Order: sequence, then structure tokens, then C-alpha cells
Amino acid sequence: MRVHLEFLGLSRLVAGVTEISLDLEEGTTFRDIVPKLGTTYPAMRESVSRPDSETLQNPNAFSLNAKRMIQASQMNDRPSDGDRIILMSMSIGG
Amino acid sequence: MNGYSGKVLHVDLTSRKTWAESKPEEWYKMYIGGVSMAARLCWENIEVGCDPLSPGNPVCVGGGIFAGTPVPVGGKHGLASKSPLTGLLGDSLSGSWFSVVLRRAGWDGIVVHGASDEWVYVLVDDDRVEFRDASHLLGQGTFETEEAIRENLGDDQVRSSTIGPAGENLVFFANVTNDGRQAGRTGHGAVWGSKKLKALSVRGTHDVHVADAETLLKLSYEIVQAAQGPHTEKYRVLGTVANVLNMNRMGLLPTRNYQQGTFEDAELISGEYLHEHHKVKTIACAQCPIACEQMSRVTDGPYAGAMTGVEYESLFAISSNCGVSDMNAAIKALEICDESGMDSMSAGVTISWAMETFERGVFTKEDFKCAKYPEGFEPYFGDGEALVTLAEMIRDREGIGDLLALGTKQASAQVDAERGTETYKWAMHIKGLECPGYDARGLKTFALGLSVVTRGACHNRTAAYDVDIKGLVDRLSIDESRGKLAKETEEYAAVYDTLPLCKFIRRCFTGKADREGAWPAIAQLINATTGWDFDYDAVDLIGERAHTIKKAFNIREGWTRSDDHLPYRWQHEPMKEGASAASVVTEEELEYMKDLYYEAKGWTKEGLIPKEKLIALGMDDVAEEIGV
Repeated sequence: MRVHLEFLGLSRLVAGVTEISLDLEEGTTFRDIVPKLGTTYPAMRESVSRPDSETLQNPNAFSLNAKRMIQASQMNDRPSDGDRIILMSMSIGG
Repeated sequence: MNGYSGKVLHVDLTSRKTWAESKPEEWYKMYIGGVSMAARLCWENIEVGCDPLSPGNPVCVGGGIFAGTPVPVGGKHGLASKSPLTGLLGDSLSGSWFSVVLRRAGWDGIVVHGASDEWVYVLVDDDRVEFRDASHLLGQGTFETEEAIRENLGDDQVRSSTIGPAGENLVFFANVTNDGRQAGRTGHGAVWGSKKLKALSVRGTHDVHVADAETLLKLSYEIVQAAQGPHTEKYRVLGTVANVLNMNRMGLLPTRNYQQGTFEDAELISGEYLHEHHKVKTIACAQCPIACEQMSRVTDGPYAGAMTGVEYESLFAISSNCGVSDMNAAIKALEICDESGMDSMSAGVTISWAMETFERGVFTKEDFKCAKYPEGFEPYFGDGEALVTLAEMIRDREGIGDLLALGTKQASAQVDAERGTETYKWAMHIKGLECPGYDARGLKTFALGLSVVTRGACHNRTAAYDVDIKGLVDRLSIDESRGKLAKETEEYAAVYDTLPLCKFIRRCFTGKADREGAWPAIAQLINATTGWDFDYDAVDLIGERAHTIKKAFNIREGWTRSDDHLPYRWQHEPMKEGASAASVVTEEELEYMKDLYYEAKGWTKEGLIPKEKLIALGMDDVAEEIGV
């Protein structure tokens, strides 16, 4: 299946592109996507993902089709073909 | 007493007298500092029911418990007066060196009473207070005024809170500015202007005594180390402007006076674009290891040379919400706001109201005559030059700027009364304060939180968008959890606003931003500073008391349940497109959520506070006046 991954904020600066398409095997989870990012963009291992390279560094998070934020407890959920996954970091307060 | 001097300075501009008031340690344990202390001082010193621009409305400054100590991001102070925009309590925060020198001068707070016949600035030089002529400073911008006072005194250690031309001209959303930071929202600058108070300048040379310096240094060092890591990287690199594209994707980016939640040119006003094309450097407040302020400059075109710090809340108001995709015009408009001491959020939202009022045919070109355009101009959405010109006209109260200087609530009421129109239907305010950069139709917990904020539509006083945006609840529907969530998030925010600490540090204590992650560490900081024995519950009570004193102030000034409202548009016009399409907050939904909220707070169905609730919080004198 193919999903679209859009980068916003820090992840865009690190990736140097606004979005990519990912061809994933059926059954791939959101958690599985994180190390793929670290492989393609090693700098993400420092600022976007946690040292385990399997989870995202708070407050970076995946948004599924801009409708639902994927919680840490939902990282084993699976995206569907054609989904738009947005990697964003929120800046709230101050 | 460690951590405090135990003294509040009173300055009377009418009589030119000053005096020190001693406060007992229990008073400090109750109100701590920041907006809570400032609100309490307002409660104690205002003439109830007074006109916000009359001498009976005091200027109240509440120092920070950590200002002048090593505690990172603790260099902040609170400011409170009755707001000319809302007629209720206006409370704001600012940070940096002014907060530090206030503590070093030996004052925990300042109350300025009365009004001067002539323009003055007040110099607090440790224990000595002087009333100094400010006539030569009139018309000068906020930054210019600070510098002029330093030069005039020949002392670069003096720090000043100042007003600019907007405050002098009584623009209802004028700010007070210090060290390049703004005590914004609710119009403090107009209150200062009504007193002919151009600046409050402080020189402080005393030490700040703490109970356990070694522990405080150790704790502070650990927090500073954490603040250099990934928890704050987003603030350091892009700042809050990174939210433009986030909000746009979620269909929540206010566009053309909140008519839309997505902006077709969002990329051109994004934090990423600003970073690449306009960023000059980042700036930090005093005591801050993060440095989030993105100083940005226009390099070419008619606004070349314009430069200021750009934040998300300012940027949305002045760009997408006015339909403007020209970042050069946006930076220029923000520079006008900052230099003149004018709240850029209220300015932008008021201008967007004027643009919509023009496009709907209520205003005509004739209404926009000014010296720059004697025949008038046509302020369509998207016109950057119209945006810049309107900001100047508001600052100077020129032409229609005189009306717009009242803010959306009072401007629309005046227009509707004179012309028989219904412009209130697109006047985007709550209690008179213009709305922030999140369309609350698509964030329903936030909609409740925003409707009940004591100072009006402020995102920073309710943190309720956090649960919506993070997806901890379904942001597009409501359920019985929302009242409790609104209570918990507003009191969480109130703890930070009372100490005060910048909320950007909240993940740097343990990695977790919630109460469990932060309160034990904050208790340790308080105890090392004061020698008290605060624990988790005591820290939690800081927020509830802070919110309660502000609410009590409003009740005494005549607040009723109907004041907790949302703008007409958010209740009657579903969002048209984007990821929040079709969403609206109906009257039934809001009233249901308000019931839940008042119940969670332990208040009556009418939102009043029972006496026993106030007494349980130790606020017996407040209970006597407003308890039911």
C-alpha cells in the first residue's frame, strides 16, 4: 500500500522536503514508520524520534488525515492505503 | 522572609505620595506572585465599579517568585487592572529584565493609584521613588522610550515598562512593553495612558535572598540542561509560528475574520517560510535558556527594514485572518504594533472585522479617508497596504482608526447603533477581548475553556486546546468530561501564570508536562526559594486560588453567566471546508458544557462561588463580599 507522509515544522527542516510517498507492506504500523524515517533522515533520530528510534519525541506526533492525532498508545495502529500522515509538532502556551 | 521582601510599593500619581505596605507571609503563600498577586492587589485597591480609564483603577504589578534567582524562565511578572476592553479584570504577563530588577529593588509588587495632571514616568531606585517629567518622551515608541530613559538617567541598568503612542492615545488594546516583551491583551497601555503614566522605571541593587541557594542552583542547572534538549527544540528553531501549517492542516487557521479555517496561501505565511526568508536571529528573555523569539526582517520592497519578533498569535491575526499572504506587509504591521505598544492580536482581529464590514457594504471607501489616502481606500481582504495603513490609523486614532481603537465589541456596537446593522454577527470577541488563533468550532473543549476565561478570549489562560489538539478527546464532539477538563486545564495554566514560569519549560522537569511530571519539581523550587514546605497539593491549589481571585473580581464588577459566551459566528455558522468542516458549537452544546464546568468548579448553576468554597480556599474576606 502507499501512504503520503507530509512533514511540518522541525521534521520538514530536517527532511528538506515537504512530503514523500511511502510504499509499505500490508500490516505496517505507525511505530514501524518511525525507524524508516530515521534511516532515510538520520538527523531525525536526534530531534524528532526518541533514542529508541521507534517512538516520536514529544511533542512530535502523527496526524492521520488531519482528523486524528495518533497517541503513543495507538502507535501499533495501522494506516490504510491512500492515507495522508502528517508529522507535526505543536507549540502551545508561552 | 526568604524569597520575598515582604513589601509592596504604593505610588499615588494624584497626590505624588508613596508608601510601603507590609504583607504577612500567609498572604504570599496564598497569592505567590504574577497574575495572582497582581489580581489580588487589584481586588484590594480598585474603586469597585469604576471606569477603567479613571483614577480609581489601579495599575498592579505582581513580581515573580523566581525572578532574580537562577530558576530558568522565572524572570516574569504579572500586571493587572480593570480592562477598558472587557470592563472586567485584565491580567497579563511579561518577562525579562524588568521582572528581575523589580525583585532586586526590594519590591514584591507595585500599585499605582490615581492619575497625574502632567505626563510623568516613575523611577523606582531601590527604596527611593521619583516622579519625573515625561513630556519629552511623548510620541516616542516603546523601545525608544526605554532607551531614552536609560540615556537620560545615564544608567544602562535601569529597566522600564513603557507605553507607546497607542497607550498615549488610549487605544483600548494598547500594551505595556518592557525589554521588547509585551504585557499584551486587555489594554493595560490605555489604563497607563489615562493616568498620564508613560513609564515605570526600576533600578535594583539588592540581593534576592533564598532559603537554600545550593539546592536551588542544583535544581536550576538540571532544568537548564533539559531545556537545551529536544523538549524545547521546536521553540528554539522555528518558534510558535510553526503552528501556522499545523492549524491550517487541521482546518483551524482563522482566515478572513474566521470565515474559513484554511488559508490557500498558508505556506507563504508559515514559520518555515519565515525561517528561510526573514529570520535574523532568536532572542531570549532574561533567565531563559530557550530563546524562542524569532526576530524577522523585511529585506526588500516598500517595507524594507521593518523588523520585529514574530509569534504565531500575532502572525495569524495580521496575515491569514486579514487574508494577507504578503509576509513583508505582515512584518511591517507587527512592527507598527510593537513599536506603538498595541496588541497585535486585537489589532489584527479588529482590522479583519473592518475588512469584512467593508466587503459586506456597511463601510464604504468614504469611511477610510485619512491623510495618506484623502479620498479613502478600499480595504479588501488580502490588501497588505490597507492592513498597514489601518494599523497606523488605529495607533494614531486617525479617521476610522478612532472607532477601531475601541476593539471589535465596542466598535461593532457603535456601528450597529448608528447604522442599524448587525455587524456584531462577525465581531470575533469574548467578553470584549478578540479571539486567538484557533477556530474553536473545531476544538470543542477549547470552546468551553475560552468562553469561561475571566479576561475574555485568551488561549493562554485556558489550556483546553491541549486535550483537543492532542486527540485526548474527540475535538469535534462534546461529552460529560469537558467541564472537568476545562477546569483542570485552566488551573494548570494558572499555576504557571502565578509563579510565573514560561510554559515552554513544562516538559523540562521530568520529560512529562502534566501535573505529575511538573508539580513535585515546582514544589522543590518553591521550597528552596522560600523555605516553605509546599507539596503537590499545595502547588495545585496555587492555580485554583489564582483563578478564583480573578473570578471573584469579575463577580464583584457585575459578571453574570451570560458573559461566558462565544462569538455569534462560532455558534451559528458551521465551518465550510477543511478537516473541521461542518463543525459549529451550538448554544445547547455550550450551555450544557458550562453547566458541567460550573459543577466541576464547585460553583452554583449561575456560576457564582459559594461562601464555603471560598473559605475552604482561605479567602474569607472574599467570601464576605461575593460568596453566596
